[in-house]
Amino acid sequence: MKVVYCGGCNPQIDREALAAGLPVDDPAVPEGSTVHLSGCPRACASGHRLVVEEGEQAGAGAGGASAGQDGPPVVVVAGELVDGVQTPSPELAQTVTRKLKE
Amino acid sequence: MALKTPEEFVRSLADLHLQIYLFGEKIDDYVNHPLIRPSINCIATTYELAALPEYEDLMLATSHLTGKKVNRFAHIHQSTEDLSKKVKMQRLLGQKTGSCFQRCVGMDAINALYSVTWELDQARGTDYHERFKKYVQYLQDEDLVADGAMTDPKGDRSLPPHKQPEPDVYVHVVEKRDDGIVVRGAKAHQTGACNSHEIIVMPTVAMREGDEDFAVSFSCPANAEGVYYIYGRQSCDTRKFEDSDLDVGNVRYGGQEALMVFDDVFVPWERVYMCGEIEFSGALVERFAGFHRQSYGGCKVGVGDVLIGAAALAAEYNGAARASHIKDKLIEMTHLNETLFSCGLACSYEGVRMPAGNYQIDLLLANVCKQNVTRFPYEIARLAEDIAGGLMVTMPSAQDLADEKIGPIVEKFLVGTCDAPTIDRMRVLRLIENLTIGAGAVGYRTESMHGAGSPQAQRIMIARQSNLDHKKELAKAIAQVGKPWDKARVKEPTAVAR
Repeated sequence: MKVVYCGGCNPQIDREALAAGLPVDDPAVPEGSTVHLSGCPRACASGHRLVVEEGEQAGAGAGGASAGQDGPPVVVVAGELVDGVQTPSPELAQTVTRKLKE
Repeated sequence: MALKTPEEFVRSLADLHLQIYLFGEKIDDYVNHPLIRPSINCIATTYELAALPEYEDLMLATSHLTGKKVNRFAHIHQSTEDLSKKVKMQRLLGQKTGSCFQRCVGMDAINALYSVTWELDQARGTDYHERFKKYVQYLQDEDLVADGAMTDPKGDRSLPPHKQPEPDVYVHVVEKRDDGIVVRGAKAHQTGACNSHEIIVMPTVAMREGDEDFAVSFSCPANAEGVYYIYGRQSCDTRKFEDSDLDVGNVRYGGQEALMVFDDVFVPWERVYMCGEIEFSGALVERFAGFHRQSYGGCKVGVGDVLIGAAALAAEYNGAARASHIKDKLIEMTHLNETLFSCGLACSYEGVRMPAGNYQIDLLLANVCKQNVTRFPYEIARLAEDIAGGLMVTMPSAQDLADEKIGPIVEKFLVGTCDAPTIDRMRVLRLIENLTIGAGAVGYRTESMHGAGSPQAQRIMIARQSNLDHKKELAKAIAQVGKPWDKARVKEPTAVAR
């Protein structure tokens, strides 16, 4: 699983703590999964997108990942938004984990 | 259908036969009424510039619904570039009209509703978004002007909508039928309402339990049965009756506000975009306000350009253009104006693509933008009045200038620099008067204060998004808060921070 960070200029959430709570070595998470982890709703890690659509390239350079219908999941965290849905900070890791395993 | 020409727009507006009241009378020929026509000219300019190749890049956009070129005022933003072009288009139109050109509220309404209806459908399984997309395509295909109507009269501000002694002070549903709803109430301060083909209604505050009938969003034709308008007065408005192109200051263009009344108006379901879903009313208010607060970083800047230009001309005609304090005041006006523009652009460039697919501005920066707009135009206006001098408010009338006996005396004593005709000096001073204390000040000053929400509304949004805890942590880290302090080290002359 890959975590793509934003630059972290004005984070509204603790990005490092959230990343530490993600299921990095969990075999239930498909290989090649990506979490775009932005500290605020400007969503810089995913190229200013709150959701990465199917077949779409998000993020820059080596951080880029594309979502595909049958491909590994791509989840966008932007502050307290997970794929554009308001999610309280304490529930972020759990919500992202659930989406990765869906 | 192709894009409308300005003439086609005016004709289509006349054909609506809107119910407009002004000075206690119903106005039938409103498109030729001297008080109303300048505001119609403003919207006509949004059609005129759209047809000119030199403005097409800003004025037109490609519809994501049809792939056709549409007027940007009917476009759903598809990128941060779209967001920034919107602001630049607004600056351009402010420059061309020196006035509020009124078409922004509809654009901001469709962009806010686009994402909110999508999210509402995801949560509730409704089909508001598909209905709304069809409506947007209708606006685009027919090249129509829509009024985004949000502000209710509100009555007693300490009470929620459902507890108001007079419930009609908030637009609400009075009947639900199989084929639609019946609504009653009013929307206040409606900029450009009498220049619109369509009305898009949204709730004005975040609704709570008990307010379900007031959480309603819909669209209707501006001439729907039961809709009528009471035209708002503006400072110095009756000068427009004087048949003079001098004393008005801006003879061709002007703003417009009206009280819009819904007297049991029927709305078919296909035109309803929210009906009772109180939990989504707050998001709609927030997003519309955000888009509209971005707008002010463009439109008021364009009007500011006109006022700065007028102040510079007044200085030239007064023979004071080379004075260092005048130059400095013009620099200050420019600095303030460009700061507003910077905020409008910043919230655009930091915009994000919503799950619905459209782009939304950065809410914090949009609120900062509008908060500055509640202040800077006042300072720009103050400096313009400073440069203009007192003659701006003591000058004789156009009738005096035209009088056979008095006219030459006025001309002789109001002369400035020798190479500038007195009439030009008077025209420029009247324009500054128009924008600072006359009819144009409605748009440039008070609308800057209260339009898109009064200052406190922005401060609430800024407070919500200020991320103060993060800032405190930054300060703690730099100041080494919490680090054990070794008093003994203070005495060591070689001690340095590590």
